[in-house]
Amino acid sequence: MSFTGVIAAREFRSFFLLPSGYVVGSLFLLANGIVFLSGVFLPGQPATLRGVFSFDVIILLFLCPAITMRAICEERRQGTWELLAASPAGTGAFVFGKFLASMGYLVVLLVPTLFLVGLLEFYGRPDPGEIAAGYLGLLLVGAVYLASGVLASTVTASQTIAYLLTVFFWILVGLARSALPGWIGPEAWGVLAPWDPFLRMQDFTIGLIDTSSLVYFPSLALFFLVVSILVVETERRA
Amino acid sequence: MDSVEVDFNQDRPAASARPTGVAGIEVQGLVKQFGPVTAVESASFQIQPGEIVGLLGHNGAGKTTTMRMICGVLPPTAGVITVAGYDIVTHRRQAAARVGYLPESSPLYPEMRVREYLGFRARLYGVQDAKAAIEKSVDRCGLEAASSRLIGQLSRGYRQRVGLAAAILHDPEVLVLDEATSGLDPLQVIEVRKLIEELSSDRTILLSTHVLSEVETICDRVVLFARGRVVAEGDLETLRSRSKSGAGASLEDVFVELTAQAFLEAGP
Repeated sequence: MSFTGVIAAREFRSFFLLPSGYVVGSLFLLANGIVFLSGVFLPGQPATLRGVFSFDVIILLFLCPAITMRAICEERRQGTWELLAASPAGTGAFVFGKFLASMGYLVVLLVPTLFLVGLLEFYGRPDPGEIAAGYLGLLLVGAVYLASGVLASTVTASQTIAYLLTVFFWILVGLARSALPGWIGPEAWGVLAPWDPFLRMQDFTIGLIDTSSLVYFPSLALFFLVVSILVVETERRA
Repeated sequence: MDSVEVDFNQDRPAASARPTGVAGIEVQGLVKQFGPVTAVESASFQIQPGEIVGLLGHNGAGKTTTMRMICGVLPPTAGVITVAGYDIVTHRRQAAARVGYLPESSPLYPEMRVREYLGFRARLYGVQDAKAAIEKSVDRCGLEAASSRLIGQLSRGYRQRVGLAAAILHDPEVLVLDEATSGLDPLQVIEVRKLIEELSSDRTILLSTHVLSEVETICDRVVLFARGRVVAEGDLETLRSRSKSGAGASLEDVFVELTAQAFLEAGP
């Protein structure tokens, strides 16, 4: 197994050894169940999970930073980063390992929601393409949230600050996309709009897979991870 | 991010294929600066395979920083460190694979069980027969009774042993132990010292300590740090002979005298 795999496997297992892993999972599933029952699973409603996916884009914004807030600052706090830094594994393996583990955990969070798909299948005829696109979108936007959370975890020694930094960063992005069109005019916004992650996510929730988004989200996640590696390396060399 | 797995069992004979007479640890002109603060200033020393060398010095003398640099945790600002024949900066991976490191206060993952943690460390160092290596480490460090317990629930003594077991798991040629016996009860101290002596037969050991009697008991040589500089190096007799009190001086006298001298020479 590669160094990245070894670090990812340990981190992934840790999610299930700590109470926080179960709390995050339970809250996510509970919220999904409530949205499904109150907004989707009603007589006369179309058999679609659009409402759930749109809600998940928002709830993941709050849950993903909770998954990654421990990632690097906890290793620093308990001193275990020193053991990893002394091992043959490099900083890249350390950062990517943390990210892959949190992606694995996100997949574990999403798997039980397939039960909702099963219910829709039982009572209606949902479009499988739309649902698959929705899940793909959640994984992509989740990857970006998680990668930004890993970055926040590298710049601070406090889990709380790492969490707040990530959440507020995305809230600011959300506020900017509401305010900017008015401030800079529709023409200038036309240039910036393709960079809006929330707009791109809306496409996925209605079953639209834009190939540029398949490049955009992984590139953005990669950008956050590369900056994380640079931050860790710079700190090591300071 | 993929790695080349290191086969230590195959690698051990290869180590002897490197130039003979290669020092276990060789430090030349080592400098470490943290911003305007110079933590280590042109330190140089050598440790031969099979030697146990004690790194002595007051708090903040630069011992831990030096050990971290030897293990590749911190890159040096200047100077060269060779570990088991490999430059720690240019051949970090090969050098790191040959070092076992026990940092001060033995950091561990409290949510893991001892055996599980050792398994993780074995995979991290690409140990071929991980099961046998874990058994050997557990046995050597007297961890049988605690091997299935959660690390977070262990006493300080046991945590120290887990750290040591993890450090020797991949059968490293060089062991770097930062305050390995601090916080242990007298019986545990004796056990750990015995273990260090056993381990030294076929490897290089660098240990830092504040306990001067420990140095007298197990170390072949001493490197004395004061204010980031190596102020004395040699076996205990050589150090005593440098003291004004002469050969009859205690190590404590020598330590205080040489450290005070370094402070006076360096000025305020």
